[in-house]
Amino acid sequence: MEQFFNTYFDFGIMGDYFGDVLNGFWWTIRLSVFGGVLALIWGLILSVLRQLPGRLLSPIRILAIAYIDALRGIPMLLTLLLIAGGLGTLASQDAIPKEIGIPNWLGYPDPFWYGVMALTLTYGAYMAEVYRAGIEAVPRGQMEAARSLGMSHGQAMRYVIVPQAVRKVIPPLLNDFIALMKDTSLVSVLGFVEVVQVGQDVYSETFNPSALTLGAIMFLVFTIPLARLTDWLIKRQESKFERGIP
Amino acid sequence: MTETILKVSDLKKSYGDLHVLAGIDFELNKGEVVCVIGPSGSGKSTLLRCLNMLELPDAGRIELHGNEIYGGGKPKDLDVLRREVGMVFQQFNLFPHMSAKGNVTIAQDKVRNRKKKDCDARSIELLSEVGLADKIDEYPDRMSGGQQQRVAIARALAMDPEVMLFDEVTSALDPELVKGVLDVMRNLAESGMTMACVTHEMGFAREVGDRVIFMDGGVVVEQGDPDQVLGNPQEKRTKEFLGLVLSH
Ligand SMILES: Nc1ncnc2c1ncn2[C@@H]1O[C@H](COP(=O)(O)OP(=O)(O)OP(=O)(O)O)[C@@H](O)[C@H]1O
Ligand SMILES: [Mg+2]
Repeated sequence: MEQFFNTYFDFGIMGDYFGDVLNGFWWTIRLSVFGGVLALIWGLILSVLRQLPGRLLSPIRILAIAYIDALRGIPMLLTLLLIAGGLGTLASQDAIPKEIGIPNWLGYPDPFWYGVMALTLTYGAYMAEVYRAGIEAVPRGQMEAARSLGMSHGQAMRYVIVPQAVRKVIPPLLNDFIALMKDTSLVSVLGFVEVVQVGQDVYSETFNPSALTLGAIMFLVFTIPLARLTDWLIKRQESKFERGIP
Repeated sequence: MTETILKVSDLKKSYGDLHVLAGIDFELNKGEVVCVIGPSGSGKSTLLRCLNMLELPDAGRIELHGNEIYGGGKPKDLDVLRREVGMVFQQFNLFPHMSAKGNVTIAQDKVRNRKKKDCDARSIELLSEVGLADKIDEYPDRMSGGQQQRVAIARALAMDPEVMLFDEVTSALDPELVKGVLDVMRNLAESGMTMACVTHEMGFAREVGDRVIFMDGGVVVEQGDPDQVLGNPQEKRTKEFLGLVLSH
């Protein structure tokens, strides 16, 4: 028992490396925020594309659906390696500009941006499905009532459907965000020193995983309240809003 | 001289092999109240929904004030049509995220582009007319079905439509709430509104209706004066249907 405790909770190591772990976690936060916000936007674009009406636009619709299915079906680790390997190689062969192939935007290193891209592409696909489900969960009669009052499709979406859908999508979007936050750890395979990589580095120095434990605790400080908030929102919705919708 | 507001000719609509409307002809004159009756699945809702293009017919012709708005292809002047034709649904379909006043106001504001002050005044006036002066700021989930349905009627009236379509608007209500809604419809009829009501309320059809249409199998089987169609039907199918309904 004591051995177990000393292995995972070596407070000496935790104290010595606290600053490094926190630095790593700060990168984790930045990856999450950039990836999360961009995925939110990309997902919205995808969900609009896949719901475009009419026969003329069906190729776009099919492409959007194929994209969503593909990105949800590939492990994000693979997507990340494909992006990093592909863009890096193309840039070194001058097939694409270096600023894009080996991005250094805002002074952040290229693995950071490869990570943000992978998170955006993957979680955009998940979030597109959440948006769609939210809109489909609004009863059909709502659209009909709005149209029968003379509203255009766009007006009906804006004033009637989306305001109701938003309430329904916030909890599942939060769930996706929690998952996204955890998946930022995959960027460590590119040698990027986010919190997991810091923990690993400390481990190879000290042969003790306590810095990893510290990283895990930092994750929990964020993910547990987010999960509680999600549950609370779902509960509140069930008791308040659902009752009124026939 | 009667003024025809809606004229429907040979209207057809199928879902796959199911011919829900197999050639409907009917007219709605100004100030007239037409009650549509018929067995479940006979196409009554589909007919109403085609009249304001919530459902696109397959063939036929619909005229509003003599202007063709549907002639077999794409509907024309859909905006005009939807503004002139109000609809009330069996399931109310109130917007749950808006108060009673919000429900009545939103289309006045966004579709009719009325000034905020005028919208509010009109909403309050209409909600008072349907007996809900004290529920103006209430949300739908805190109102009874009968109250919700009366808000829905006020919401449709707020667009100042020339025709109102009612699709079994009392069928989802508890029996004691039916009367309040029917009273509102009766007042509306007396005020001269042109109305087409799909209904199972034979008493209402007889008392308020100027004409009754009996539909079965996607066609109009019999129509005429309510006392005549309901009291002394000529067609076998009408007799059978009324026999079933009235024996309850
Ligand atoms: N969107 C649809 N797709 C396929 N079939 C449909 C659709 N809408 C209606 N139908 C079918 O068309 C037929 C007529 O439906 P409709 O709702 O017009 O009947 P109704 O006379 O209003 O019946 P009720 O009295 O039960 O309301 C039914 O058999 C129904 O199942
Ligand atoms: Mg019906």
